[in-house]
Amino acid sequence: MLLSQLLINGLVTGCILGLIAISWALIYSTAGIFHVAHAGIYTLGGYLAWSLVTHGVPTLPAFIIAIAICALVGAAIQTQLYNRLADRQATPLVILVASLGTLAIIQNTIAMIYTTNILQFPLGWNRAVIGIANNSIRLSYPQILTLFAGAALCLGTICFTRYTGLGKRIRAVANNPFLADITRLRPRQTYTYVMAIASGMVGLCGILVSLDFGLQPYNGVLPLMTATVAVFAGGIGSTLGAFAVALILSVLENLALLVMPGEWGVAIAFGIFIVFMLFLPTGLSSLYSRR
Amino acid sequence: MDYVRHIIKKFDHDVGCATLPTAVVVIDVIGWRRNTVSVKKSRRQVINGLSMTALALTFGRQFAYAAASNDKIVLGAILPLTGIASLVGNEDRRAMEFAVDEVNKKGGLAGHPVEFIFEDNQAKPDQSILAFNNLTSMHDTPLIFSAMSGPCLAMAPLATRKKVVLINAGAQADALTTASPYLFNTLPTVSDESNILAKYLVGQGMSKAAILFENSAAGINGRDSFIDAFPKAGGTIVASEPSQFGATDFRPPLLKLAAANPDVVLSTVTAGHLQLAQQYRQLDLKMPLAGTTLLYNTLLLADPASNGLIYTQIHIEAPADLNAAYKARFNEDMTLFGKQYYNASQMAFTAIRDLLAANKPITGENIREDIVHRKVFENLVKLTFNNNTATTQVDIKMMKDGVGVLIKSMD
Repeated sequence: MLLSQLLINGLVTGCILGLIAISWALIYSTAGIFHVAHAGIYTLGGYLAWSLVTHGVPTLPAFIIAIAICALVGAAIQTQLYNRLADRQATPLVILVASLGTLAIIQNTIAMIYTTNILQFPLGWNRAVIGIANNSIRLSYPQILTLFAGAALCLGTICFTRYTGLGKRIRAVANNPFLADITRLRPRQTYTYVMAIASGMVGLCGILVSLDFGLQPYNGVLPLMTATVAVFAGGIGSTLGAFAVALILSVLENLALLVMPGEWGVAIAFGIFIVFMLFLPTGLSSLYSRR
Repeated sequence: MDYVRHIIKKFDHDVGCATLPTAVVVIDVIGWRRNTVSVKKSRRQVINGLSMTALALTFGRQFAYAAASNDKIVLGAILPLTGIASLVGNEDRRAMEFAVDEVNKKGGLAGHPVEFIFEDNQAKPDQSILAFNNLTSMHDTPLIFSAMSGPCLAMAPLATRKKVVLINAGAQADALTTASPYLFNTLPTVSDESNILAKYLVGQGMSKAAILFENSAAGINGRDSFIDAFPKAGGTIVASEPSQFGATDFRPPLLKLAAANPDVVLSTVTAGHLQLAQQYRQLDLKMPLAGTTLLYNTLLLADPASNGLIYTQIHIEAPADLNAAYKARFNEDMTLFGKQYYNASQMAFTAIRDLLAANKPITGENIREDIVHRKVFENLVKLTFNNNTATTQVDIKMMKDGVGVLIKSMD
């Protein structure tokens, strides 16, 4: 029971990390921004959904509205902050600092409005559980939703970037923004679309996690850090790679409990990253050479 | 003028001699001496002035209290009013506000109205230090109420250095007993409760225990106490797993603990109790979940997931009329920690009354001395201070349908 349950828990957490990784990688590979404020959008998604649900909005519309608002906030950050900084020839470090500042503003605003108390969705179904394989594996509804959402969005992102017009445009801008600009693919507009799509995705992650574990304003940074590990280790620009590494990292972190105490979980994830960087440094170095 | 009064009061507090009237008389004499240069007052006037100064220095303190009988007595409270422990922190605050309003309605402490200044530490030691310095520097508070082990331990050296009494009615780390001669704990330590709980559980046939501990000062202390207490009671600890402070995903450590087949899972988690209990039920773990007072919170008690949870709790009851008055004001019963902080407020009032009756200045040093000499404080519960930690009765309870059902009382 322990092995299978830990495995499934790892997969569920991995789906969330994978989605965060995919969405963050979209921004990084296209706009070249180390978008730390993504953690703030992740948190914002949960709180917006919670507010709407507690004000009587039916669950599904509430989640859709929350995701849409996250997308708008992401687009606003791109147009009102990153684009303006780019106009002023800001260095990547300055943009990173601006992103950190945005994260602090989002988190602290949430903490001021909602307090730092742990909040719970006032829904009954999010606490229900399904037992499978003679009850040896027990999954809560939010966990099941996460598994489906993770698989669907990962596949959806792959299909979107490969087969749709906007997806191809994003890949073209990511590969060569100068050429894209000459060929009137409007990189700036593409960055805004990417930011909106990625912010909507991470907003959904925030909702799914909050359904299971409740809401806290400062809970976004650690998942984002782990997700960036997955992005670098999986290879920038590789949706499947980032998602797969996120799954592997999370499953390993959970299975490590079988042989060592839980304090080592996070250290294992980052240890794997260091090993990746030592033996497979091409992903990171190719990023820097691209910038 | 207020600023001058503050300076003079601070001088009185630090040096413990002249007070406001003394200073005023001294200032008058100095002023008069200056005038003698130009106006040439008589020798009699000089003698009168000096006599007045001598009188003021001798009886200044008495004059001071007579003159300033309406002076506010300002006390501080550093509590987790926001953050993961804010549920309990706000319960503490409400009970203290209730206590101070009650005493002020009755005319204050020997005519002095009392004021509590609340500071939020978010259960963080660094914020507690800032709040402590603010209260002692800006408001000159001789006594501060505190909660949570980490913050209390962080403030303890400051309390010793600044001679400010800290009253803790919520934290239970063992280190609190010897952290500072100025820190008084109105509830037993984790070790005391662990010993009682271990004895009970082993007596009930639950001799194999697994520990879910929080990676924090209080959580680790709780784990160590169980590791010490359980074998002493005849049981064994079969596994222990950590959870991070503030984390709400307890499934992985719970699964690992359950795999060790314990008879009972002991928790030293101080935050996220509701999520812990819900995930415990979701995983369908059959062995009971148990803990000390750390495990108690009203949100958890109200949730059906808490049914069957065993815990130790300091025995403290509020009289029906007191509880009714409290409920009329806050629309809720006085909670465990509410009672604790109401009781602690009364303890502080008693010590201050003693000082006022003895015409002693209300300083941290004098309050400490009074607590040490008085030893016994009786209000909602009898507290006996044989050392810095009070001894009191502990109950073993089980959460059932939103109520803590008494199983057994132990001393």
